Amino acid sequence: MLKEVRGHVDHVLLSAVLVIVMLGVSFVYSATWDPVSAGGGLHSLVIRQMIWAVAGLVMAFFIANIDYLRLVNYAYLIYAINLVALVFLLIFGGESHGARRWIILGPVSVQPSEFMKVTVILALAAFLGERREKAGSFENFAGAILLILPAALLIFLQPDLGTAFVLVPILFTMLFICGENIKYIVSSTVLGLASMPLFWMLLKDYQKDRLLVFINPDIDPLGAGYTIIQSKIAIGSGGMFGKGWLNGTQSHLKFLPERHTDFIFSVIGEEWGFVGALLLVGLYALVIARGIKIIAGSSDVYGRAIAAGIVTLLAFQVFVNISMTIGMMPVVGLPLPAVSYGGSNTVASLICIGFLLSISRRVS
Amino acid sequence: MRTRIYAFILSVFFVLLICGLAYVQIYRHVKYKVMSEENRLKVIPLMAPRGSILDRDGKDMVKDVLSFDVSIIYSQINSIEDLANTLSSALDVPAEEIKVKIRKSRWRPYSPTVIVADIGIEKAIYLEEIAMDYPGLLIDVSAKRKYLKGESGANVLGYLGLINRSEFERLKHYGYRMNDLVGRGGVEKVYDDYLRGTHGGKQVEVDHRGREIMVLGFKEPIPGKNLYLTIDLDLQEYCDDLLKGKRGSILAMDPDTGAVLAMASAPSYDPEIFIDGKRKAEVADVLKDKEYPLLNRAVAGAYPPGSVFKAIVATAGLETGVVTLHTSFDCTGSIRMGRRTFHCWRKSGHGPQVLQEAIKNSCNVYFWRLGSLLGVDNLAEYAGMFGVGTRTGIDLPGEVAGLLPSREWKKKEYKESWYKGETMNYSVGQGYVLCSPLQLCRIMSVFANGGYLIRPYIAESVEGVSLNKPERIRLDISEETIEHVREGLRKVVNDRRGTGMKARQEDVVVAGKTGTAQTSKGKSHGWFAGFAPFVEPKLTVVVFDEYGGKGGYYAAETAGKVFHKADELGLLKP
Repeated sequence: MLKEVRGHVDHVLLSAVLVIVMLGVSFVYSATWDPVSAGGGLHSLVIRQMIWAVAGLVMAFFIANIDYLRLVNYAYLIYAINLVALVFLLIFGGESHGARRWIILGPVSVQPSEFMKVTVILALAAFLGERREKAGSFENFAGAILLILPAALLIFLQPDLGTAFVLVPILFTMLFICGENIKYIVSSTVLGLASMPLFWMLLKDYQKDRLLVFINPDIDPLGAGYTIIQSKIAIGSGGMFGKGWLNGTQSHLKFLPERHTDFIFSVIGEEWGFVGALLLVGLYALVIARGIKIIAGSSDVYGRAIAAGIVTLLAFQVFVNISMTIGMMPVVGLPLPAVSYGGSNTVASLICIGFLLSISRRVS
Repeated sequence: MRTRIYAFILSVFFVLLICGLAYVQIYRHVKYKVMSEENRLKVIPLMAPRGSILDRDGKDMVKDVLSFDVSIIYSQINSIEDLANTLSSALDVPAEEIKVKIRKSRWRPYSPTVIVADIGIEKAIYLEEIAMDYPGLLIDVSAKRKYLKGESGANVLGYLGLINRSEFERLKHYGYRMNDLVGRGGVEKVYDDYLRGTHGGKQVEVDHRGREIMVLGFKEPIPGKNLYLTIDLDLQEYCDDLLKGKRGSILAMDPDTGAVLAMASAPSYDPEIFIDGKRKAEVADVLKDKEYPLLNRAVAGAYPPGSVFKAIVATAGLETGVVTLHTSFDCTGSIRMGRRTFHCWRKSGHGPQVLQEAIKNSCNVYFWRLGSLLGVDNLAEYAGMFGVGTRTGIDLPGEVAGLLPSREWKKKEYKESWYKGETMNYSVGQGYVLCSPLQLCRIMSVFANGGYLIRPYIAESVEGVSLNKPERIRLDISEETIEHVREGLRKVVNDRRGTGMKARQEDVVVAGKTGTAQTSKGKSHGWFAGFAPFVEPKLTVVVFDEYGGKGGYYAAETAGKVFHKADELGLLKP
């Protein structure tokens, strides 16, 4: 029953991703560059990021060259393994920044929640694909929610609210694309949004404060909003054309916290200005657009579901991450896909691209 | 269809994102650009030390000395507890107090905040050594003005105060800054331009913790210039000591040049209270004090000169020819003028008096008669000639002109004509006439230097450039007249039963005139104005004893001590 993969790789998508990855490495370089020692060449963080990028691309090529349907067969197993990793993390994980997110494996530390984003998409695709006859039923709707609930809960407990939250739009989009009844999606969205202020109001002041720190433990202890202000200054002072690569004062004088991870976009905005920001956003938009095209062109529900989940994952992260750097959204710890420093983010993001490529080849 | 809807929703989000970026990077670019520059650039002011003030021999009176302050940068502190305990034991300040101050500084976590000011050099060296182990601990060095002789000479030196808004508006183009200290009195005020240095500064690029990354610009501070006064510090201190616990003034001046060697005014104050934030209460006390310590009585107070004025009347008598040396008036102890009887200070009377005897005895009857003969117009003319009613032009702030009464003045001021009884008062230095001690010093100097009206001054030079050239005007008085009055002044101190005999010195001949000025408050002011040595005088001294009673006692005795001290110091040598 398995058809061999025959189509060509989507070259536009692949090129866009390669440029994004290169931009990412060069801005990790800039963000970690020390103006006092004036460089020092390629230091360990940049080399690590390059290794991750290569590893991620190898993974992407591997996935692009096999039939994603074969992987869907193992979706529940992979999901279960990932859940076990999260449970393991919760019990034995080392705490860092007040959260348990990393499993240390020798020289590398793995962030299972980053991979969980992909794993959840696969599991949901398997679930919705095998129950495609019941598409639009409440049964499917409730089942999908129950399926991802353990993952969401375990990530929430780390705590990593940002990543837990990203699962919600993934779930809804996949349900939507797979023909779920709009009634369920809209009413549960409305219900969820409506209950949020209620939930908030029930909290006491100190709990609210705690929650704010809970959402982002890295927030500057010297004053809430410090990070946001510094990030806006960085991006705003970049202007139209920016201060030039390695010339950002906000980042190199360390006014900007988390500048190589969650706030790497602030460095890009400062050094390359609006033009550079537009370039990166445009590249992401191109990836998303190719993703949409792949959803539309996919002949099977599994491919559509996976592509929809991945497109949502990437788009949501790009939107939330950039929005928070310009103060349009509160600070939640979501990285910029394939750009922010971090092995798990980079590899997981490129695995996503691998799936998109794989689905696209099956289209043709 | 669903994919299209989804694509549309995603497009909306991307458009929103681009709008947000355009808003921050283009529309608000200038604002953020400025904020990023403010983040990055700091100007560290380098304060220029103010020039020293020295006496005629180059002894320091006022100088800027280094002051060490303990500062912290909140964001760099590891443990507030540890730091507070260490500082507490090193500086003998309660740890709780230090903790409170450290916590307060969290509102400006990246810039230094002074925690303990002025700690002394030993403690500063100790803390500098351990500062390596305590990140965020800094020892700031700044210049602090020290008035080395405390209250002595305070009214000459003046004090410093923060520049106020209107002064700043006026002076900002001359390099003054908002937090600058400016001279508020004395030579600190008059010579502020010389004493004040030009501040420098360092423009640095700093990182998020306020650490210097790179120096972008440097302007060296230029220290203020040193000011040399004509004051003799030893004599000045001696005069201030003589006035301890009293009210009044002592002046010592070179009668030939007008250089002031000592100018004491009591009560005095410590000028340092104005620049020490911890001594605000003392400032309030000084400002509220009913005895006005901030008033430099030597130049800013005007009082009736009393009998010292008789030297002018005697000069007028001889010059106008109303009397000769041998004209005699009989003092019976009183004199009738209209319906009023005026009593001489000696009830029994002085008997027949010629001019020099009358000066020696300070006989009121003689001078009443002489004054009546001269008339108000002559008195006013000669008093005016001696500088009564005119500022001397000394280089100190707040000088008053005194009061020169005349027929015209009376008309203008009171819309009344001059009364004969007022001429009587005028001729013994009572009534309307008012002089500052400095004016009397100048009047007495005319007899010391043989007829010249000089301009007193107090600042000699800055950096070798002299500030004041001696200025003198030859008065239209014959040398003969001056000689005759001088002889009378010599008798006052040196003849048997002279009214100023308490000023007499064994080693040097002093001449002078006492004065007792009656006041409306009942108690009299005591005066003595004189010079020494009699031949080729080197020093004119005026002692003003506010509400101190008769001038022949304390004032003359004090003046004698000043001459004695000056002689010891070699100031009376030819």
